Amino acid sequence: MTTPDSSADTPAGHLRVRPGSREPDGQPGASNEVRPPRRIRQLGSIVASCSLLVIWAILILIFGIIEPSTFLTLANVRTIMGEQAITAIMALAILLPIAANTFDLSIGGAMGVGIVFVAVFMSDLHLNFLLAIVLTLLCGVLIGSVNSFVIIRLRVSSFIATLATGTILDAIQQWPNGGNQIVSGISPSFTAAGQKTVFTIPLPFLYMLIIGAVLWYLLKYRQVGRYLYATGSNADAARLAGVRTNRLIVVSLLVSAVVATAAGIIFVMRIGASSVDAGDSYLLPAFAAAFLGATQFREGKVNVLGTLLAVYVLATGVTGLQLMGAPFWVANLFNGCALIIAVALAVRAGQRRLLG
Amino acid sequence: MTVEGSAEELRPQDADPVLTITGLSKTFGGEHALRNVSFELRSGEVHALVGQNGSGKSTIVKILAGYHTADPGASATVDGKPFELGHAGSGFAAGLRFVHQDLGLVPALGAIDNLALGRGYRRGRTGTISWRREAKAGRELLRSLGYEFDLNVPVSQLMASERTGIAIARALDTSSGHVQVLVLDEPTASMPAAEVQRLAEVVRTVRDAGVGVIYVSHRFVEVFEMADRVTVLRDGVRVGTFTVDDLNEAELIRLTIGRSLDSSDSAQTSPSEVRPDPILRVTGLEGRNIQQLDLDVHAGEIVGIAGVTGSGREEVAELVFADRSQGEVFVAGQLVPPGRPDLSISRGMALLPADRLSKAALRDMTLRENLTIGGLEPFYGLRGLRRRAERQEAADWLERLGVVPADPEAMLLTLSGGNQQKVMLGRALRLNPKVLVLDEPTQGVDVGAKAAIHAIVKESARNGATVLVASTESEELVALCDRIVVIAHGRVRGEFAGHELTADALTELTIRETSPI
Repeated sequence: MTTPDSSADTPAGHLRVRPGSREPDGQPGASNEVRPPRRIRQLGSIVASCSLLVIWAILILIFGIIEPSTFLTLANVRTIMGEQAITAIMALAILLPIAANTFDLSIGGAMGVGIVFVAVFMSDLHLNFLLAIVLTLLCGVLIGSVNSFVIIRLRVSSFIATLATGTILDAIQQWPNGGNQIVSGISPSFTAAGQKTVFTIPLPFLYMLIIGAVLWYLLKYRQVGRYLYATGSNADAARLAGVRTNRLIVVSLLVSAVVATAAGIIFVMRIGASSVDAGDSYLLPAFAAAFLGATQFREGKVNVLGTLLAVYVLATGVTGLQLMGAPFWVANLFNGCALIIAVALAVRAGQRRLLG
Repeated sequence: MTVEGSAEELRPQDADPVLTITGLSKTFGGEHALRNVSFELRSGEVHALVGQNGSGKSTIVKILAGYHTADPGASATVDGKPFELGHAGSGFAAGLRFVHQDLGLVPALGAIDNLALGRGYRRGRTGTISWRREAKAGRELLRSLGYEFDLNVPVSQLMASERTGIAIARALDTSSGHVQVLVLDEPTASMPAAEVQRLAEVVRTVRDAGVGVIYVSHRFVEVFEMADRVTVLRDGVRVGTFTVDDLNEAELIRLTIGRSLDSSDSAQTSPSEVRPDPILRVTGLEGRNIQQLDLDVHAGEIVGIAGVTGSGREEVAELVFADRSQGEVFVAGQLVPPGRPDLSISRGMALLPADRLSKAALRDMTLRENLTIGGLEPFYGLRGLRRRAERQEAADWLERLGVVPADPEAMLLTLSGGNQQKVMLGRALRLNPKVLVLDEPTQGVDVGAKAAIHAIVKESARNGATVLVASTESEELVALCDRIVVIAHGRVRGEFAGHELTADALTELTIRETSPI
């Protein structure tokens, strides 16, 4: 997914590009290349960095013309908003690890654990739904801690480590209820928190906005965000510059696991039932959105706004195609292609940046 | 002098040159790295290539290897047949082989696999690798060089001389054509002295097989031990080619640095007057090569660490800053815990690492982000980081450092090496450190930027910072330092006041201290 990089010992997917050509290094006069004035460059990069918005507008236009009676309806907009809120939360979950050049492939499993455990806590153990939520989020903390231990202490590459822990989490989901769905015993006030709307906006969408806003603030306005990007850019350099890189990676893994279990909780709120292995189908769309989002706004680096935009562009495309009668598997086809295109675009963006 | 006389003429009649180079020049952006250099290698001789840093010896090797092109007008032949300089394939076809300083081995693989790299495995008719034939051939090849070790052990577990042996054996593999010339580039740079002996035997074996060997080194003892002839380069010009038996070490040093050394130059500093407590105190520092290093540096003092590559000099800066296993470091009397760069910084240290690309540069981040990392506290407002204040401070620093372009939002990788290095220095200075640790502060930096960086370092010392500089460049240390510590074989071999030394004298000290006296 990325070109090999001597400076990082994780094979993770930070969208950084090792240029094919050598940088101008120590050659007299190399610094005096002609650069266009700053304003023109900014204009160019604004146009380039908003290409997803353009694609979105085109998609809406096309589907609106072809299927005006179904696509351009409030009901459809609301469905996309609500359904995609969980995908968006999952995409937000992996932002911090990816910013720090660390993979977390266990978020699908973590979400599945969230789904099963919150339902089990309520229906089998008859716990109050708030207590169930808290306990489930603590499961997320535990998952993040195990991931951190394997990656930092045992020094397993994050890609392999979380591939393994994710699979283990898939097994754990089967354990509490023998792998059966839980449909009864779920508190109605719990499901109300996932099914109601405020000013026609589905509540899960609001939860997503809150999580997104927090991460956006952290990444943009706090030291932790800057240091995460620095760790992702060059972990050795960041460490020698005073960044506690290992601790940051631990923080990012804790956040990703907790947010992913939260996505599981919100899933149960929406559906009103648990279902085993439901989390895994969110993994790829989440990565596709995060990487596609990295081509926007903060070019080459994952960011909240780009990710959310990407989630909804992808969802618009999939929903439009389905309304036109495309079969259900079009979603996987669309998201898989989008992931490849997203990373290819990010590589190009990196090369363009190299040229100044 | 008699040596001078024998230098001037090359006598083609008494040799059958296997490699000749004539009229070789190379300029890098207007700077002459090589000027009209001619060189001749006979078959079955070991020909040493010596010179200071920047003398052009590695440029010759890089041109032969096809890494750099030569300026027009140069020509070269192997066995009388011309080949294209600066073209890797052409040199290879002509029979040139190289063992570079890093050897190019895959550490996790054994000798058999490393020998097969590039050439490909011997295979049976069905394409299956014939491990038995591989092992037999490999064993015979290494035995012919005098080696006997398990060919399946990962090379990372072998001794340094054994690894070099594998690299030499691979270079000599005849299945890819007849080998005429073997170039060994600083093969002993990171080799313990005890193993050098063994390498010398291998080199002689190769020579006796009729291969011409070019031996690049700055350890003069080895030149006398291994080489038949030696070519001395200085400032990109060939000083001369000499028969080693006609020379002694003092003469060779004089030829290398261009003047002989007055005895007063190497006078040891007398124990200095009583001084206040040092700002930086290092005791019992240990690293891979460094053994029991003690060091005191006082406020406003610039202390240099000199030594050839492999002496341990290259480790000192990082060991002092944070990554040490043994030894204690105090800043202003306060113990600095090891392995925690963040605590080293909060105790008042800052490091400029030698390897900018892998240990300092955040290449895909902006100049602003590169400058302010490690100290974002001043920019915190009620709503988090205040971009505008940060940008303003970054812009001020860029102007002060003379970085071009002085655009805080430019990506670091769009800058030239010299400007990147200024940003890295700015990052360290911005922390307002009590102790500034600089490792090769002007490596890969052009002349103008170098002067600028020196000026900045001197100014911060005048403002009270204590500076430790490790460098391979004698000129740099002499220009910067109040005091210079010379390191050889991991130990301090001498300490000199900066004003007492010239660059040449310092170079000689580092070279001479390398040889066990």
